[in-house]
Amino acid sequence: MRNDDEGVTLVTDGELLAQMQALRDKVTGITGTAVASRDGLIITEDTGEVDADNMAALAATSLALAQRIAREAGQGTLREAVTRSSGGYVALYAVGPTAVLVLIGDEGLDIARLHRESRAAVDKIEALLR
Amino acid sequence: MAVPDVSGSLREALTACAAGGLTGVLRVAGDPGGVVHLIDGGVAAIATPGAPSAEVILLRSGRVSEAGWDAAFTASAASGTSMCAELVASSAAGTGELEALLRIALADAMFVLATGLVEECEPRPSQVDCLLALEPAADFGPLLAEAARRVRVLGATVGERDRFVVVPAAKRSGPPLSSGQDEIVTLADGRRTARDIAFASGRGVYATMLQLARLREAGVLTAVRSGPASAARERAPGTAGPAASAGSAAGDRSDAPGGLPRREKGLPSLPRRTVDARVNVSRTTPHRLLRPRSGGDVGPLGAE
Repeated sequence: MRNDDEGVTLVTDGELLAQMQALRDKVTGITGTAVASRDGLIITEDTGEVDADNMAALAATSLALAQRIAREAGQGTLREAVTRSSGGYVALYAVGPTAVLVLIGDEGLDIARLHRESRAAVDKIEALLR
Repeated sequence: MAVPDVSGSLREALTACAAGGLTGVLRVAGDPGGVVHLIDGGVAAIATPGAPSAEVILLRSGRVSEAGWDAAFTASAASGTSMCAELVASSAAGTGELEALLRIALADAMFVLATGLVEECEPRPSQVDCLLALEPAADFGPLLAEAARRVRVLGATVGERDRFVVVPAAKRSGPPLSSGQDEIVTLADGRRTARDIAFASGRGVYATMLQLARLREAGVLTAVRSGPASAARERAPGTAGPAASAGSAAGDRSDAPGGLPRREKGLPSLPRRTVDARVNVSRTTPHRLLRPRSGGDVGPLGAE
């Protein structure tokens, strides 16, 4: 891992991937994970059939929009941005100011456990990116 | 496969609910845990992350189209009638078909609940609040008995943490696959558990496990218990991703023409626009959103 004073960090992929896979193992229904930079480039992916590059770009944009909407509504800090579709979920979490965690889940995603586990995972990932 | 909790706290809780004629929910904490919806002490529906609900089975299997489902949902919300009644009224599903499917989903969910970890069961009276409820509700006894039978049939052939991957064709022989097995083999990518394959294909978990056990016995599939590290892609620097055809939004960092760049070890990071590295993103984001990110002359790392 390399610490960069300028901001976005380049990280040892193995550690980051291990955190992402640990989260997938803990939360039933997660089918894919990715960590992307806020400018929409993939850092590490475990997304299966989902195009990680496209997802990274969209996630960065979507998170920024969600934060803006939350601020406009005067509702404080965004905790997560969740998109629910007929076939599952995509949840986005801000990882510090420089990255975004993308979690893709199927219809059975354990949302309650996701909310419980994701905070700690975000902290660990943020520490790895620092 | 864990020893089923058919004689443990889940059975005790369901027995108490049935004796009291509870209408409401029984919250089952554990792994995967879930919620048992009860009507007059009987089991009307079970929601658990561990097994596809009747809704998932109906939609994923294609028995009901999304348009048909949405129409029935809207009509149900507007009229206050049940979702089942609306699906039947709109001819999206037949009465018998729907009841059979609800019973299949119930048995599957009870199998998953009973074979999982049950930490605590908490009954709570409430209105009936589930989309697809079996009416009249089912007795829990036969459901638990069926769960125990399924565990005996499966034995230890398929673990809930096993992720399945296809054995290369050159290394296997045997009869051709059935159409149902074909689909499972296609979905077995080393990342999915039996539960994941069940959700993706719109089948029950038990039925999926049975097929997986047969396919593994036939040498078509093999199981990996650890995390699927190999399934996660770490593309070589400069290797174009699937989105390469879309062109590069910020491209000259990518070695492959048209490929999207990646954050890579050893490469410089995003230059900061402010002196403070811990910049308040919520303050700067709106301004960036109003700006085109790249006009072709902007570097891949966001230099402006």
